[in-house]
Amino acid sequence: MAQLPLGKGSNKQQPVKPGKHPDRSGRNGLVRFVKQLDIQLMVLPAMLLILVFSYIPMYGLIMGFQDYNIFLGGFRGFFESPWVGLKHFEMFFDSPEFVRVMRNTIVISLLKLFIGFPAPILLALMLNEVRNMVFKRFVQTISYLPHFLSWVIVAGFVMSMLSTDNGSVNIMIQKLNLIEEPINFLSIPEYFWGILVTTGVWKEIGFGSIVYLAAIANIDPHLYEAASMDGASKFKQMFLITLPSIMPVVIIFMILAIGNLLSAGFEDILLLGVNPVLRDVSDVIDTYVYRVGIQNSRYSYATAVGLFKAVISVGLLTMANYIARRSGNSLW
Amino acid sequence: MKMRKKFITPIVSAVMAVSLLAGCSGGNNNAPQNTGSTNSGSETVSQKFELGAQPLDFSFYGHYDWYTMPPWGEDASSKWIKENKQVNIKAIHSGGSAAQKLNTMIATNDLPDVIWMERGSDVEKLRQAGMLVSYDEYLDKYPNLKKWLGDAGINMLRSEDGKLYQFPNWYTSQPNGNAGYVVNKKIYEELGSPKLETTDDLYEYLKQVKAKYPNVTPFEPHLAKDGQGLDVLYSAFKEDNQKFPPMRAVPNGSELTSIFTDSAFRESMQYTAKLFRERLITQDAMTQTLDQVTEKVMTGNVAVFAAASPTDMAMQAHAELTAKDKDAGYFMIWPVHKEGLDKNKIFPGTYTQLGWNVMVITKKAKDPEAIFAFMDWYTSPEGQSVLMWGPPGLYWDGVEEDGFTPKFTEKYVTEADELAKLQGTTINMNWLGNTVFVDGTKAKYESTLPEEQRNWSTRWQNEITWKTQSDATEFINLDPMPESEEGIIRQRIEDIFLEARAKALFAKSDEEVLSILDQAQKDAESAGYDKLLKFKTEKWQGNLSKMAGNS
Repeated sequence: MAQLPLGKGSNKQQPVKPGKHPDRSGRNGLVRFVKQLDIQLMVLPAMLLILVFSYIPMYGLIMGFQDYNIFLGGFRGFFESPWVGLKHFEMFFDSPEFVRVMRNTIVISLLKLFIGFPAPILLALMLNEVRNMVFKRFVQTISYLPHFLSWVIVAGFVMSMLSTDNGSVNIMIQKLNLIEEPINFLSIPEYFWGILVTTGVWKEIGFGSIVYLAAIANIDPHLYEAASMDGASKFKQMFLITLPSIMPVVIIFMILAIGNLLSAGFEDILLLGVNPVLRDVSDVIDTYVYRVGIQNSRYSYATAVGLFKAVISVGLLTMANYIARRSGNSLW
Repeated sequence: MKMRKKFITPIVSAVMAVSLLAGCSGGNNNAPQNTGSTNSGSETVSQKFELGAQPLDFSFYGHYDWYTMPPWGEDASSKWIKENKQVNIKAIHSGGSAAQKLNTMIATNDLPDVIWMERGSDVEKLRQAGMLVSYDEYLDKYPNLKKWLGDAGINMLRSEDGKLYQFPNWYTSQPNGNAGYVVNKKIYEELGSPKLETTDDLYEYLKQVKAKYPNVTPFEPHLAKDGQGLDVLYSAFKEDNQKFPPMRAVPNGSELTSIFTDSAFRESMQYTAKLFRERLITQDAMTQTLDQVTEKVMTGNVAVFAAASPTDMAMQAHAELTAKDKDAGYFMIWPVHKEGLDKNKIFPGTYTQLGWNVMVITKKAKDPEAIFAFMDWYTSPEGQSVLMWGPPGLYWDGVEEDGFTPKFTEKYVTEADELAKLQGTTINMNWLGNTVFVDGTKAKYESTLPEEQRNWSTRWQNEITWKTQSDATEFINLDPMPESEEGIIRQRIEDIFLEARAKALFAKSDEEVLSILDQAQKDAESAGYDKLLKFKTEKWQGNLSKMAGNS
């Protein structure tokens, strides 16, 4: 998905060496722009979308430096609310929840990154080796369906499966004589991260693998033929041909995932971590902002915390991109 | 790629500039509207608005996540009101996130005519912003609120500026409420109907249930993360409980003090944790959904069910279970108490004279007086009769000699199921419930019926729950505004309390319960609990003097 536009983006008329742009003169560029007008126009809707939903709302960030008064109404509020400098940021850093919230956010994100990120790649690699097309389609369909269920429904499933009163998981392991008394899965802090990550992987693995399957399908079959003539086993082909060929896609998704490191998830945690006993392990930046900021209409505070998160994310993204540029597969 | 970027920049900045301008002018357009609608309503003071003489249209917003207004005019009651009183109400829904919906409406200056909401900080915020219409000039002209609530109650509802902005719902001058314990009759009788009066009796009974019925939940506390059955259990350890857990404070003399150090609270948490540890309380207490609770109660798989209002669910379950098996069903017991306490001073629930929530009219309303006239009729005996028992001529027809008590027809008994169905809808439209009239009428009529024909809830309300709810009117409106310093402390204390209660429930021993509560007290102190308690104490004392001065 991401690979295609990048590939087409390179100049067709002149051979391009990586990292170097041969012609940077403005006049030539204008000529080319006019030549490509039809293609350029196609970008416009996407740009408008980003403009309207990402750039314009950024204006609201000034709320984070004000004591925003909602009763003044949208724009009047921006102009007439008193400025308070970094008050809300300081309040967040000084709050007793700060350390806990940051720790949970980072730990949950890293878990999702290390487990949730490679999982679809693995599934794609495995599916690629399946020769029976019917079976392959079947597995693909089954595995990507959960993506279309909302978290409310998925959390409902999980909660009734894991409940202690007649929950199917408890009944099963009781019948297998593995435990005597049902386990209260959703109330034991030690289990929470595991349940969260597993549920997330279950929900998204199939949909995530579609991109990688598409990338695999683009690999030249001759490579495999040549490899098998040279005596490479199926396993070796997977590691020496398939994986390196989809590496650009993997890296791009990796950079994006790192940029999202501080977005540990919101709905899943909010819905699965209802028990206050889990707060020590479940409270992340987004749930904190929701509970303390939005629900109590402390918008300035919520904005400040959200901005803090965004700044760190941009930093992480830039860093990841910088590292990836060395392998020649960076975003920009 | 670089090439292309060069052209993006000017385009982006051009479009951004244009849209910013557009945004600003949009904001300016709002301003005149603001001032335009402030002073309407005062012109129509002279003559009384007669409901039904001309059409009345207004928009209504129920400020609750869970609330969806039933479609107006689709059931028999609201259809009658629509046709005979020419009232048409347009619903505005919260869509499951009420706080965001209301704030959006405020920010975009797009308020509904009427909001139905909780008393307290949200109402106060709207009032301070000058967005509400005061009711004072209508009170004498449309006298039902004065008549049924009384001046003392009205004074309690007044805001700091001395004016009245809120019309209460289910206000009352006599005890009401449903909190208490519902017991499974079949299990109770099969276990030999043991004595169930003290907390020790309850513990022994639950143990028996667990031993004999492994698939039954011995004690079901409803959604324990909201308190519910846990708060009910707390009441067993303290005489004259008046809703202290939700206040996160306990009165001591003339001051409000920490709940974490309250000996009754600590003891009750130890007791509750013991029940939980021994699996006498459902292990899903903190995580379960309402559906899970309903399923257990409806299938008769709970032995004791305690909640802030267990009667509605238990009534349905009772009907369902007795239809299959005459000996099954549920009944209520007198609230249990700790050995040594006076059982007549045990109050698992509270009521306030001001009832549940309120209805406010915003300055968006074109004719607030007309809406107030409607509210006056809605809460009057006629309005309440239509909402509770359908349009006249069906389940009731005409009134008794007192001029307001409806005369019930035969259908009230023979078509009780149909009526219950109608009530299932209209209960969500009765925004201005008149408790004294409705409960009084029901009780009067039910007492003329033989026992087996009496309504399950009405029966237990009469026999038990109305006698075991305490008056907590003096404790209303204690909460600070969320953005104030006390408000920020309140939010922290709230988090600390909820977490501590959940952790204490999962504690492995009595000592651990105490150490969790001690830790919570420490955390609360450093979060500024004392300051909050002082704030609440002042508010409470203010209420007391308001009540003393006016009654």
